[in-house]
Amino acid sequence: MPNKLSGLQKDVLSLYRSCLRATRTKPAGTRPNFAAFARREFEKHVKMDKKDFGTIEFMLRKGRRQLEIYEQPGVTNIAG
Amino acid sequence: MYRTALLRAARSAAQASSRVQRPAFQRAIQTPFIQPRISTPAFAISAVRCYASSSGLAQEEVTGRILDLLKNFDKVSDEASRLSPQSHFTNDLGLDSLDTVEVVMAIEEEFSIEIPDKEADAIHSVTQAVDYIMSQPDGNATKPSSPVQ
Repeated sequence: MPNKLSGLQKDVLSLYRSCLRATRTKPAGTRPNFAAFARREFEKHVKMDKKDFGTIEFMLRKGRRQLEIYEQPGVTNIAG
Repeated sequence: MYRTALLRAARSAAQASSRVQRPAFQRAIQTPFIQPRISTPAFAISAVRCYASSSGLAQEEVTGRILDLLKNFDKVSDEASRLSPQSHFTNDLGLDSLDTVEVVMAIEEEFSIEIPDKEADAIHSVTQAVDYIMSQPDGNATKPSSPVQ
């Protein structure tokens, strides 16, 4: 990882951070499942070309929407 | 308010030892075990001192806690031999950017603080993490524990 991250890369990390923050609102027992799920979702696209701004921005929007859904208090567990 | 009233009562009782005031004072405090507390003002002062002397975190303690945390981080455990207070998360411990985020979040939980995104992005090594924690109000990096007035 280069020391200087682009703004877009920071956005991605910031989304990952919000995902991990969101796991803290979940029941303690299922928290690792949520964290693992978030990690998996990010790793699916780990090979993404960092110049492919359009796709990355689309994925970011998709990720934020997904976070909103899984953040809801009704969601208490997820396939880990 | 109740405490203030008690203290005031104690002071007046200590100053005036006339027989008329004493029974009134004793009636005011009906439980006998409170009496020694308020009749010795030294106790109250020592309590205040204890509160102020709980100084922040020492640098060694912060470093130790962060290293312990990294030791238990599953991706670091293979590289545990390369773990040192100077380790760089990516270069020395082979963590990727997502792992780094996880480590910083774990540090947040360890020290019960919330690190804003901007600062969190700047933490890439154990040293930087320790420096950040020490710069927080609870750390006492530069100043030795100074008593609060």
